[in-house]
Amino acid sequence: MNKKRERDEHIEQLWYMKEGGEDSIDALKSALNASYDTDITDELLSEDLVELSEENNKIALTKKGEDYARQLIRAHRLAERLLYDVLGGDYESGACEFEHTVTHELVDSICILLGHPRACPHGMPIPEGECCKRSSRTAQSSVIPLVELEVGQSARVAYINCKSDQQLHKIDSLCIRPGAVVTLHQRYPAYVVECEGSNIAMDEEIVANICVWQNPEHLQAAGKEALAQPGGKGNQWGRFRHRKRGR
Amino acid sequence: MTGRLIRKKKDNSDSPSNTTKVKKIAIVGLPNTGKSQVFNNLTGEYTLVANYPLTTVEMKRTRCEIGGEPYEVIDTPGLHCLYIHSEEELIVRDMIFKELPDIIIQCIDANQLKQSLTLTADLLELGIPMVISLNAIDETARKGVWIDSDGLSRLLGVPVVESITVNGLGTRELKGAISKARRGKWSLRYGKIIGNGISAIESELPADASFKRKIAVLLLLDDPFLADYLRAEYGEEKVAQLKKEVNRVRRQFRGNVGRVLNNKRSRWVDDIAENTTRKQKITSGEFSKTFGRLSRHPVFGLPILAFFLVTTYLLVTHVAGYLDVKLSALLLDPTIEFVERLFGAEDGSIRSQFWYDFLVGHYGILTLGLFNAIVTILPILSVFFLMFGFLEDIGYIPNLCVLTKRVFSRIGLTGKSVMPLVLGFGCKTMATLTTSGLRSRKEKFIAVYLIAFAIPCSAQMGIDMAIFGRIGIKAFMIGYGALALIELCAGLALNKIIKEEERSDFMQELPAIRFPRPKAIVTKTYYRLYWFLKEAIPIFIIAAAALFLFDKTGILDLTKTLMSPIVEGWLGLPRDIVDVLLLAAARHEAAAGLTLRMVDAGELNYVQCIVTVVITTMFVPCFANVVAMCKQMGVKTGVAMAVAINMSSFILAGILNWILIFTIGRWVL
Ligand SMILES: Nc1nc2c(ncn2[C@@H]2O[C@H](COP(=O)(O)OP(=O)(O)OP(=O)(O)O)[C@@H](O)[C@H]2O)c(=O)[nH]1
Ligand SMILES: [Mg+2]
Ligand SMILES: [Zn+2]
Ligand SMILES: [Zn+2]
Ligand SMILES: [Zn+2]
Repeated sequence: MNKKRERDEHIEQLWYMKEGGEDSIDALKSALNASYDTDITDELLSEDLVELSEENNKIALTKKGEDYARQLIRAHRLAERLLYDVLGGDYESGACEFEHTVTHELVDSICILLGHPRACPHGMPIPEGECCKRSSRTAQSSVIPLVELEVGQSARVAYINCKSDQQLHKIDSLCIRPGAVVTLHQRYPAYVVECEGSNIAMDEEIVANICVWQNPEHLQAAGKEALAQPGGKGNQWGRFRHRKRGR
Repeated sequence: MTGRLIRKKKDNSDSPSNTTKVKKIAIVGLPNTGKSQVFNNLTGEYTLVANYPLTTVEMKRTRCEIGGEPYEVIDTPGLHCLYIHSEEELIVRDMIFKELPDIIIQCIDANQLKQSLTLTADLLELGIPMVISLNAIDETARKGVWIDSDGLSRLLGVPVVESITVNGLGTRELKGAISKARRGKWSLRYGKIIGNGISAIESELPADASFKRKIAVLLLLDDPFLADYLRAEYGEEKVAQLKKEVNRVRRQFRGNVGRVLNNKRSRWVDDIAENTTRKQKITSGEFSKTFGRLSRHPVFGLPILAFFLVTTYLLVTHVAGYLDVKLSALLLDPTIEFVERLFGAEDGSIRSQFWYDFLVGHYGILTLGLFNAIVTILPILSVFFLMFGFLEDIGYIPNLCVLTKRVFSRIGLTGKSVMPLVLGFGCKTMATLTTSGLRSRKEKFIAVYLIAFAIPCSAQMGIDMAIFGRIGIKAFMIGYGALALIELCAGLALNKIIKEEERSDFMQELPAIRFPRPKAIVTKTYYRLYWFLKEAIPIFIIAAAALFLFDKTGILDLTKTLMSPIVEGWLGLPRDIVDVLLLAAARHEAAAGLTLRMVDAGELNYVQCIVTVVITTMFVPCFANVVAMCKQMGVKTGVAMAVAINMSSFILAGILNWILIFTIGRWVL
């Protein structure tokens, strides 16, 4: 079907392989299985997006290809954040076509809205965009770090940026997770946060990694609405399609 | 005929096959959820119960009969989930994996149902028959929260018993439920790819392996401690094979398996919690909440701390002092009279000076031994432990973590080491054991050292207060100020010397402030005193006897002469203080008794008194503490630390002596 989409799939897969430290053609084949297409790789080669060496069985993105892939991945992972945390959808089985249909500007405005998240719900890094470098937060962001709340204020957790799975797991076991309501009770000498009926004292670094909705009611409502009417608001972010990964 | 039968029965009960048949019950649950209280209720024994996490740091087991059947009941330290974050949790999981308990009782604090259900999800996956004890429902009821325990039982497929453990309510029901323990419903699904992956890993495990499913899940989660267990159990080869399979499954599933597993579990928990909990929309403000907030507030927290300290100080000095006088009149004086009559001759001289001295002389086993413990130390400890138990039970102590956080991070104690240090004010040995949860060796080193060094444990603080009580509260502030300063400098120095490693995260759950229950506090104090007497009286007596012998043989005098340059010259103390130092090596409380006697006899002046308290507080960590240090750091480091602590206590106390002489000494003396 859509040629661009298939091309993008190949490029995204090459990015994943790079993250995983792989660069063999066989790996690409087995990852894409049915949708692997030599025509596409040839085309990418001619456009100078990949470099190929058949005899070494190696394939990798060029500088130009990486730039292109970065945009795709960024859009994909931001979409996952949006889908999962805002709309409460299930992202495991569904990747989205979002990244194939949106403009840079739209991706950046979602990034700003979400307060420049650093990782997707799977914990994979979201490549930085121009907006993150400028770090434009201001009033446009609906998501702010918990440290910026006023003492005594409550907010709903949007997502958690974490340095490691271990840390995330620990935070999770205290029930601080997307959707939970937290209250900031104290800032000094240590942060004290209340969540699900228990008070937890924490370091500033951890509190800074917990991102919350600035205005929870408003946004949650918008998200629910978008999910409720498939043809409505949700559509402006692109069409979500569920697809099975792997076999 | 009957006789034979009985004998046969008896033989049976002694045979090993029967002892292995005693069923094991493991009581597990999140920290501070009432596990130890349930243990006490079930078995009739006593382990420490306190309103903060890390009260229990080692397994406690006992045999008892429930419903006519013998059981071995095990109380465990807190556990958040089977994926391990720290070593104190590891010992619980290892116990479960290696001992395969027949029944698990999970304690859930009804105030924190969601947090506990995460652990429930993990435990259900083990497939061990389970009972849930839903504790503290008195508190949720007061807060306007209602938990549908029958619904919970239906959803989880295991018996759920409501209980108010502190009053013993629900214990009978729990005992009844133990025979009905069931495996539970496993309704958490991970999705097709992961589900298949888990099955694939399971099939790689040996057929007779236990907890195959849970182990497969933990392997997927990349549990840092699991490989050791598997290696010990199934060998290196199997581990490599499993690793390969796990990697294959992970590759197949693009994305982070761990996070997906977690998210699934969280949703399962949220679902169950939502379906079983009803909350009142409005509740009245709670005094306990407000008090908790104030007690860790940067401005109000310090006055509250000061208030508790001063109250304790006043109680210890006045009430314990009063008791001391009464007990002396009641016990000590009649005994001395009796001994005098026993050995006294007509003309008022004493017939057998040796035996008289042995019993009630300066180093008599009765005066310095038995009655030192009962008449002098016991009243002090009773009053102090009552107060300390009160603070423990309302849950005040962990709030000190918040107040002292900044100070501790200055000295390199960033994350999880804050709580062990705060716990050091309770019992240094227990606090040292809790440092096993620290991953960074640097933090562990500093924490173990500082706990052993200038922190007074609760008993020490009680007797220090009593000694200072004789010369005034100002001395108390000077002495403890000096100790705090010394501790801080030691921390700063260690932080500079030991090279930086990764810091751990500071995340400490603060227990809710609870109303104190006099009965629980009295029980706890009773047991603490009972343990103290049982442990200490023999040591007091032996130490007194040893000093007596050293004295009679002249060794003591020689030691005093040899140490005189240090003791008299450097520390500025009278030479008899060597007795105190020697006793301190055996038991700090014994030394304190002697110090009190010297203060009363006017043998120590103001400065000397402060220096004595400071040096004995730092000097020789108690034996149990040294053992714990060796356990945590290895024997070599542990012993080296103990030596370093003793040397530095002499050096620092000397410096303090000179500073005091040149400052306050001028106008006090
Ligand atoms: N009001 C009320 N308090 C309870 C109940 N059960 C336990 N507590 C309190 O909870 C606190 C913790 O009890 P423990 O038995 O020490 O808890 P634990 O699980 O052994 O704690 P750790 O060993 O530190 O992990 C104590 O202060 C108890 O008095 C209950 O049913 N009602
Ligand atoms: Mg306990
Ligand atoms: Zn992702
Ligand atoms: Zn951005
Ligand atoms: Zn966990």
